[in-house]
Amino acid sequence: MLMDFPDRLAQKIPHHTVLLPALTTLNIDLGKGDPSPRLTSILCSISSAPALGSITIGNDGRFNIGRSSQGPWGDMDRWLARMAEHTKVQGGLSVILRGWPKGKPVCEGFLPDFRRAGGQIKTRVRD
Amino acid sequence: MNSLPQELVDAVIDNLPRSSLFSSSLVAKLWRTRSQQRALERIKFLSEDQVDRWYIDFPQDPEGVASYVHVVEFENTTFRGNLATFGCALQNLCSLTTLWVKGMEIPDELPAQIPRMEVWKRITTLRLWFISSTLTTVVSVVLSLPDLEVLSIARATAGLGGPLSSHPVTPPHRTPLDLLELQAYVGGIGRALARSRLTSRHLSLDVDLLGVEQLIMCSSEMLVKLALYGM
Repeated sequence: MLMDFPDRLAQKIPHHTVLLPALTTLNIDLGKGDPSPRLTSILCSISSAPALGSITIGNDGRFNIGRSSQGPWGDMDRWLARMAEHTKVQGGLSVILRGWPKGKPVCEGFLPDFRRAGGQIKTRVRD
Repeated sequence: MNSLPQELVDAVIDNLPRSSLFSSSLVAKLWRTRSQQRALERIKFLSEDQVDRWYIDFPQDPEGVASYVHVVEFENTTFRGNLATFGCALQNLCSLTTLWVKGMEIPDELPAQIPRMEVWKRITTLRLWFISSTLTTVVSVVLSLPDLEVLSIARATAGLGGPLSSHPVTPPHRTPLDLLELQAYVGGIGRALARSRLTSRHLSLDVDLLGVEQLIMCSSEMLVKLALYGM
């Protein structure tokens, strides 16, 4: 299964990965930054969560998505794609971006692997 | 006023702000008990003297005012090594379910005292914030509480270090926690709890903690909700 993923993520997947069969809710709070290498490492230790229907990613600052196929968002994208491929939830896996700037659309190139894997992106604007 | 049914009076009191409860307890006899129950539902001790006074004013009485307390906070209270005072303060709170300890040292002698006191068996929520202690003591306290459902540990100001001198392991029949929350600066407690095989249905974890992966792995079968933060 790891062969399906880009080398970079495969390198980051720890030797001991874990299946979370009952996980339905995952909230990730980024504070004011990008996904950190530590966060990516923890997420990569999760091999599959088939009951997971949505993942909320919060950011108190602004989403600095840059070129999302590279860097911290690229790693997150590849992990999200893996989760989207393995979900058994009807309707697939959604990512909810909490704290998204009001009126700003999500650019087409954001989280491309996740989208290709059937994932959906939703936004929740900052209060 | 006395013609109102008790249920209606209770409903009114339940919607009053806390600041009005001492006044409402003086409205009529029907208002007194419910008002006192709500006013004393949660109490906070800010010094050892306050603990002493409470114990003198409200000696053990299963039906009395002390039985109204469900949540107790000890904040910056030092017992000067006198664990008996701490024990007595808890012992007469026969409805206590939530213990919130802030800015205190957890003495190494506490775990040995817990099995001897009935009150600890009723604790379902334990919050340890800004504490100092050793890993062994904290893990032993946690594992000594058989019905614990919620555990929150945050910002240990000092300590929570040292080797785990013994390796307490969660009893196999113990049910998982409902929530395990570990916030920033708690030393090696995450890894220590993972080594003790403590499990939870909901994990809320600072990602910079040691042992996050191990905690997730321990709870993998029953984990329903995971929150990761602090990046």
